[in-house]
Amino acid sequence: MSKTYEYVPEPALVKGNHDFKDITAMITDINIRPTPKGWYVAFGIANMLLLLLLGSIGYLVWEGTGIWGLNSPVGWGWAIINFVWWVGIGHAGTLISAILFLFRQGWRTAINRFAEAMTIFAVMCAGIFPAIHVGRIWVVYWMFPLPNQMLMWPNFNSPLLWDVFAVSTYFTVSLLFWYVGLVPDLATVRDRIKSKIGKMAYGVFALGWRGSNRHWWNYEKSYMILAGLATPLVLSVHTIVSFDFAVSIIPGWHTTIFPPYFVAGAVFSGFAMVLSLMIICRKIYGLEDIMTIDHMEKMNIVVLVTGTMVGFAYIMEQFIAWYSGVEYEKFIFMMRAAGPYAWAYWIMFACNVFSPQFFWSKKLRRNVTFTFIISIIVNIGMWFERFVITVTSLSTDFLPSSWGYYSPTIWDVATYVGTFGLFFTFFLLFLRFLPMVAVAELKGVMPQADPHNYDEDGEFVPPKVEVPEPYKNQTNQ
Amino acid sequence: MASTSPKITDSLQFPDNLDVTKTFYGFGAVGLIASGVGYFLNAEQFFFSYLTSFAFFTSIGLASLILLMIHHITRSSWGVVIRRIPEAFASNLWIWSIFIIPILLGMHSLYHWTHADYVAQDPILAGKTAYLNTPFFVIRQFIYFGIWGFLGYKLHKISVDMDKTNDWGLMELLKKLSAPGILIFAITIAFASFDWLMSLDPHWFSTMFGIYYFAMSFQALFPILILIIFWMHKKGILENTIQKSHIYDLGAWFFGFTIFYAYIAFSQFLLIYYANIPEETLWFYHRLEGSWAYVSYSLIICRFAIPFIVLLNRDTKHNHKVLISVSILVIAMHIIELYWIVMPTLHHHGVSISWLDFTTLIGLGGIFMGLFFQRLKKHKLVPVNDPNLPDSLHKTYHQ
Repeated sequence: MSKTYEYVPEPALVKGNHDFKDITAMITDINIRPTPKGWYVAFGIANMLLLLLLGSIGYLVWEGTGIWGLNSPVGWGWAIINFVWWVGIGHAGTLISAILFLFRQGWRTAINRFAEAMTIFAVMCAGIFPAIHVGRIWVVYWMFPLPNQMLMWPNFNSPLLWDVFAVSTYFTVSLLFWYVGLVPDLATVRDRIKSKIGKMAYGVFALGWRGSNRHWWNYEKSYMILAGLATPLVLSVHTIVSFDFAVSIIPGWHTTIFPPYFVAGAVFSGFAMVLSLMIICRKIYGLEDIMTIDHMEKMNIVVLVTGTMVGFAYIMEQFIAWYSGVEYEKFIFMMRAAGPYAWAYWIMFACNVFSPQFFWSKKLRRNVTFTFIISIIVNIGMWFERFVITVTSLSTDFLPSSWGYYSPTIWDVATYVGTFGLFFTFFLLFLRFLPMVAVAELKGVMPQADPHNYDEDGEFVPPKVEVPEPYKNQTNQ
Repeated sequence: MASTSPKITDSLQFPDNLDVTKTFYGFGAVGLIASGVGYFLNAEQFFFSYLTSFAFFTSIGLASLILLMIHHITRSSWGVVIRRIPEAFASNLWIWSIFIIPILLGMHSLYHWTHADYVAQDPILAGKTAYLNTPFFVIRQFIYFGIWGFLGYKLHKISVDMDKTNDWGLMELLKKLSAPGILIFAITIAFASFDWLMSLDPHWFSTMFGIYYFAMSFQALFPILILIIFWMHKKGILENTIQKSHIYDLGAWFFGFTIFYAYIAFSQFLLIYYANIPEETLWFYHRLEGSWAYVSYSLIICRFAIPFIVLLNRDTKHNHKVLISVSILVIAMHIIELYWIVMPTLHHHGVSISWLDFTTLIGLGGIFMGLFFQRLKKHKLVPVNDPNLPDSLHKTYHQ
């Protein structure tokens, strides 16, 4: 080990030596300034896609699920794939805001608001699919255990019902968590905005926030409690989504590693999505000093770790399928890697396992364009993961005479593409009207908020440790 | 400046008058000799008891190793003051590897798949011979311990080197070692758990098993760290350096990984129970038979429910008496859970405790702890030149 290494101290979380006022202005002026033209263009496109979604759903309700590409062995197609994909994306927000909060990771503050918004909209997109796939959408409320004169109840033993509870709880808690975090910042916008209507609108939602000591005390407490409540939800939602598959006895679905493997995959795709959106927004809104390259690097490391975890699960599945000696398991996994859907399997493998491995290189982790490309690739890969799981196991079922090849119809594609319309419509509204970074919290992690141990340029100077006599001569940098 | 600069007031040297090493080695020798006698009386029981104890102590070394690597890779500062303890555990893994030898010698008693005539009659086991065969099993053990031994030794070596050389660049080296280390660790611990424990019942399989072994080992590491720290405090070692806030954090990790363990263990059980496929349920079926059922239920209560409820409260993470009791409970449950994984292979119909269970535990435990203290004694008890040490010392606990 003759090679010497340079010690790299922890970088500051906000770059550019801004003062507090700068930060407030940088973020809230986006809400106060007149709407930029580009925003209208983007909003228009998102709205058109949203119309496509509404149209596809309308036709689906009119005509029935026959318009989709489902066939006899493959009774679960794009609807479940898209559901799992969107729910997975919706995981990063709460992970960033709740789990990283409990771990006291200061860097979360730059992106948590943003990621939470993404979570909420992604879960909304996800929620559409279970609702519309039932066929008779007018009795969709039967999903809930509502007392009725027929004494009909949903099957409480089914993870599909648990899903209804898990996802709706997750959505509610995420929304509350997001809103509680927003309150102080809404008050900031209220105080800065000139327009009367704006003042009133922000004022209503700021719940009379005056920034008093007591307000902050309540705020911190409730935020902590919500973080604690949200943490198990991060795990529970995707665990139950994985149960949808894993409790069955379909080869390739029934495997015990599914719960943690799905959670890792969800975090993986969620972080990738946050990265894609963040890279665009920081550029357009000039927030490079807040959402820094260091943030991107940290997120890339999470992408690398979770991607590798997913890869670990793929390998375990393959190994145990062989090791189990169960004919059907072996067959399904052979079909995955070499059957009619092998193309999808290898796309999945390449996107999810191989592509994040580039992030071992520090240079690539800090390369914005490269990160953007990988983040998109990862989300493509994660879509294919759900495709592979759902379709390969069903298409070659226990009865060879019923085997079939599944392909989607134009309506499958239109519905899926349409959900992007829903997502971006809401997301653009969020960018326009709400502070996209938690202003108040961000100030708390700035170097300026911590007056110790920094020299004039904001460089960190670590204090010296005093140690007992015998060691004095050999220590201290 | 002087007021803000953190200060270590404790001695960084393990007290000379406190020679626990010899005591532990003494216990170890007695335990191992007694177990050796047991081998001649009941070889089969000896090997199963030995495997249980071996899986327990190795799991502590492995959990220490992964904790260290996570610590380095996340640049944690909270745990710098306690880092020498897991370092000492992990650094001995290469020496510890010699204790796999009795298992290799006892493979014929332990693992049914080593019986050629039995495998020949069983087409499923015959299909597994590419993996489950004696030479490959032995080679794999060398690979595992080679990797773990190297990582543990290196991480400790670099850390103590930094005490002397004052070179912060070594922190980067620790990170560079830990990043791929975690990946290799994940794969090796999974396959090691398949080899040692899962293949005891060669028909049974669970993709989760590697994570399950990791989860329970990691949960059990925190109570062990807590007990060692309390013992050290009692002897006046690092009393002011390892503070309340560090113990609180260990308690929080303990709590978190209690939930993680329960999540993994329960998911594995639920999926197998729910699908109800005979080749999988049999494993749990055996463990719900006769008196094994009580052990199964006690795992739920004593390894999850009690620690969960107790540690949920903030104050208990500061209350030494409570922490010590829960720690002892969970460590005991870790041993019992490993026993519950291993022993039903030998005693199908119910728990049958043998004195060899205790002698192997004392024997291996004596050696394991003796090695630990020998290592701990040699070096400073805190990595004095770690750049994160000031942060770790300054740690005030938030409300």
